[in-house]
Amino acid sequence: MGFPSPAKDYQEDVIELSEYLVQHPSATFYFRVSGDSMINACIPHGALLVVDRSVKPVSGMIVLAVVNGEFTVRRIVQTSKTLVLHPENAAYKPLAVTEEMNMQVWGVVTATVVKYKYDKNDRIG
Amino acid sequence: MIALVDCNNFYASCERLFQPHLQNRPVVVLSNNDGCVIARSDEAKVLGIEMGAPSFLIEPTLQQHDVSVFSSNYTLYGDLSDRVMNTVSRFADQMEVYSIDEAFLNLTSFRYNNLTEYGIAIKNTVTQNTGIPVSIGIAPSKTLAKIANRLIKKRNKHLGVYCLDTMEKMQYALQNTEVKDIWGIGSQYAKLLTRNGFVTAWDITRAPEEWIRKNMSVTGQRMYQELKGISCIAFEDMPPKKKMVCVARGFGKVLNEKNEVMEALANFTAMVAAKLRSEQQAATAIQIFLQTNAHRSGDKQYFRSLTIQLPVATNSTRELISHAQQGFETIYRPGYNYSKTGCTAMDLVPADELQYNIFDKENRERDSKLMKVVDMVNKSFGKNAVRFALQGFGTRWKLRQLKLSPCYTTRIEDILTIRI
Repeated sequence: MGFPSPAKDYQEDVIELSEYLVQHPSATFYFRVSGDSMINACIPHGALLVVDRSVKPVSGMIVLAVVNGEFTVRRIVQTSKTLVLHPENAAYKPLAVTEEMNMQVWGVVTATVVKYKYDKNDRIG
Repeated sequence: MIALVDCNNFYASCERLFQPHLQNRPVVVLSNNDGCVIARSDEAKVLGIEMGAPSFLIEPTLQQHDVSVFSSNYTLYGDLSDRVMNTVSRFADQMEVYSIDEAFLNLTSFRYNNLTEYGIAIKNTVTQNTGIPVSIGIAPSKTLAKIANRLIKKRNKHLGVYCLDTMEKMQYALQNTEVKDIWGIGSQYAKLLTRNGFVTAWDITRAPEEWIRKNMSVTGQRMYQELKGISCIAFEDMPPKKKMVCVARGFGKVLNEKNEVMEALANFTAMVAAKLRSEQQAATAIQIFLQTNAHRSGDKQYFRSLTIQLPVATNSTRELISHAQQGFETIYRPGYNYSKTGCTAMDLVPADELQYNIFDKENRERDSKLMKVVDMVNKSFGKNAVRFALQGFGTRWKLRQLKLSPCYTTRIEDILTIRI
């Protein structure tokens, strides 16, 4: 049997990444993105988004929005007059939300998870 | 006061959450095997689609109005139900989960001067956090809370909360509830009451207690009290442990090959065993059955069930399948088109209180270790990654679920991809 490990008393639980990423489990959902329109906000093609519905959207946050029935991910910016959905890639145009548009914030993106896949040249695929 | 929180068109709302273009569109969800309608969005109700309508009968309506149809996805509904219940539970000390989409909250010890406002806070939080719309009825008893909930859904769904906090409101609610719509009234009592001139719930509360006592059982007397605002149905924090576990399903199409039917039964039995283990229960007996489809009028009909007393209560897949197979050999007859089979575990006992039999030849300790490994492997590598040979790899017995949505919230490979 030997002596008990002196480290035993100092043992802690292992790190659970989901605890770090998710503050409100009942209100948190995951989505994946396809496309590069949010690349400058560290959301590359294929990224997994952590979306928290219980967080109140505030100007400047990245949100999962529903525009006329379609999901999209954009930075929401409220100016004195308009509400704008901003892409994070110069190749894409911002969208000013108008009265006729049916826009809802589905949830706030609180984290992005990117898992690397390496190709045979050890480059990120 | 007691609140009943009830999800609006729950299954349809779950499907819509991940397909926002279906907001304001008619949606229906079909039962196992896509047989009949078990949930409808308000827009589908307006089209006159009835609950329980067989899907093949309403096919023209579905086509004509471009109704979105889904097979039932209980994995998705179960997860969203958990989220709703978790969110709701924070609003009261005591909660009773009454069904997948309803929960009672005990607000008795609660000193909040405006319960309607509190109800609105619950409703808004649940809808915001989980995406599932709910309606809330608040009243002095469970039966009245049910009535309040039903009325708000029928008449003022957009308000979503109805609190019977005055005698006037209570009277209004009772006068607008027909006898047959009272919670817990069976069709027999509904008939008896109607025959004796009771039309609404209000009429019942005006009846002499003597009459109720004479003509109705204890349940009837309890209902009478509850309608008068005297709470007498107790709160159950924990759902009572199940006394039975049953998995029985119709096949996607009729089967006449013996090994295919046995394969289906073995799979259902394995599901029963896994359920028992997850609830730390064991079966003392199992009942299996086989049947043909009574609606196929050209077919010879056969139904047989068999109860098998187990030598020792067990939840081992290996043992249960082996008993089910022996039973199957007894009741199987060739030459029929089978449409359904199933296995029910009965007389459940806690798995840690098993009584051993000294003549028992099974190596139970080894078996239970084996089952732990099977459950673990299946948990990490997917359902049925490890299976018993009898379970096979066939698919003909599998459910017809042509319109099954992905398990968006429970399987990482099913996560919805958004084009941005």
